[in-house]
Amino acid sequence: MATATTSTGSTTKHSRRLRGMTARRSDTVAGYLFAAPAVLLFLLFFALPLLATIGLSFVHWDLLTPPRAAGLANYERLLGDSHALRVIGNTFVFTFASVVLHLGPGLLMALAVQRRSSRPLKYFLRTAYFFPLLISWAAVALLWQYAMHPTFGVFTHYLGALGVPTTSWLTSPTWSLPALLLVDFWHTIGFTFVILLAGLQAIPVNLYEAAIVDGAGALRRFWNVTLPMLSPTLFFATVVSFIGAFQIFEPMYIMTNGGPGDATRSIVQLLYETAFRSFEVGYASVLALVVFAVIFIVTLLQFRFARRWVHER
Amino acid sequence: MTDRTQAARLARRHALSLLLVLTGLLMLAPVHWLFVTALQPAGNAFSVPPDWLPDKVTFHNFSAVFDLIPYGEMILSSLKITVTVTAGSLITSALAAYAFARLRFPGRDVIFFVLLAALMLPQQLTVIPTFILMRNLGLVDTHASVILPALVNVLGIFLLRQFFLSIPPELDEAARIDGAGHLRILFQVILPLSGPALSALAIFIFQLYWNDFFWPNIFLNSPGKMTLPVGLVALQGSQGGAPALVVFAAIAMIVAPVLVLFLFFQRALIESVASSGLKG
Repeated sequence: MATATTSTGSTTKHSRRLRGMTARRSDTVAGYLFAAPAVLLFLLFFALPLLATIGLSFVHWDLLTPPRAAGLANYERLLGDSHALRVIGNTFVFTFASVVLHLGPGLLMALAVQRRSSRPLKYFLRTAYFFPLLISWAAVALLWQYAMHPTFGVFTHYLGALGVPTTSWLTSPTWSLPALLLVDFWHTIGFTFVILLAGLQAIPVNLYEAAIVDGAGALRRFWNVTLPMLSPTLFFATVVSFIGAFQIFEPMYIMTNGGPGDATRSIVQLLYETAFRSFEVGYASVLALVVFAVIFIVTLLQFRFARRWVHER
Repeated sequence: MTDRTQAARLARRHALSLLLVLTGLLMLAPVHWLFVTALQPAGNAFSVPPDWLPDKVTFHNFSAVFDLIPYGEMILSSLKITVTVTAGSLITSALAAYAFARLRFPGRDVIFFVLLAALMLPQQLTVIPTFILMRNLGLVDTHASVILPALVNVLGIFLLRQFFLSIPPELDEAARIDGAGHLRILFQVILPLSGPALSALAIFIFQLYWNDFFWPNIFLNSPGKMTLPVGLVALQGSQGGAPALVVFAAIAMIVAPVLVLFLFFQRALIESVASSGLKG
């Protein structure tokens, strides 16, 4: 065993010298060749479209007649477009509510499950909370559309049994957005749950032991140990939930078609309709850039914040 | 005294467990309702409250799906797209990850960070120009329009690179001394050691594209070429709406494979989603 180690040690040194003298050029060629498929596809389907979207935002184009220069007209149109601004507002409302729902109940669920000692129970809960995440949004949206049906919907029925007056949830101006939030919660909570549970399990047990020795009660332990130690995970979960919710499209597109009126229309749905129904490519590109700008800012914040908490550790 | 507090604590713990089991069942209830309803004969449909444990079941609704839409072709389309995308992006990711983890070449780190920045790009930002590109190439309403952009997976490159970095470099340097080329090193040394990372990534990509709606909904129009999620939504909207039970059977047929996959690969699935930090 000892001889084997020394011999690998010496070949390593030998090969390092070899590589330094002869293998460097072949490394370069191989490096470019190996990275080429991914990089070329990336250029064609990420970098080029990114630049093209910026370019398209300065033209008027219906995909049939040749594009015409628009200058800043598409951007000016957005500022005066109360319909689009309302939709963007909706999307922010949906996003904030979705993040709060994920972080609040998600944290409670993770805390509760982490303390369970029974493995089968843990397994069952992890399965139950996580499984809906794997179902296609299309299937989720259709299923819940039936569940929320005013007459034969199972959701409507049991709410009625609890004394909630029967409503046509998805066509109500008041209740359609909360109804979609509930469906979003059902579909996506497993994601936040898994992240938070992993974060909780990474907190060293001896911190809690030390806190107990110092006479800290459960609430103090939560404030002084759990929350600070979990804050990076909480922040990460917040940012990722935000980015996911801000791009929401399927439930409104399938369940409410953005209605009633504009009550549930999201910016991505508006983008989709502008680009592929009314074929206003330039204006749709501006909307795409709005989605990008919001996500870009939120991601930057994440990096800023990450630097701070990494230092603190 | 201590006995009593212990007993109180035990009771409290079990009360919470019970509450948790209830929330778990509540989360699963819609899925159960889906399967129970899909198995109902037409006359029994949508009894309220639903028949949670029906004694009469039928598979008629499932065969009806095949009569209403080209469901078989849709399954094949979904499989073709998902399998090609999974295999293809695993290969491009592995090659690139090897280059970024093991090879030294000018511009390597810059290229890698530019790729990483793309993790921030939402699909919506690239869809319009890609649609125009595909239209000019005559590829709209072909599977290529869905497959090609998905053959590069930045997250895959990143995850595999991290994993390759954890494999001792002595292993492939020894192979190099023995005269093995980079391709052989990658396929015969590195990849066989990367089983967990590869399978987690494969499952993640598979379920992502199996479930995707946004992109195929824009690019695929002919019913025979649609993937299952797109075909499902089209089925519901077809001719003033297909019979609800048939739609339920169609939904059940999308959910069932995922359910089976999940029961077999629960750990890998949950870990791949948790480590990726991305939503399906």
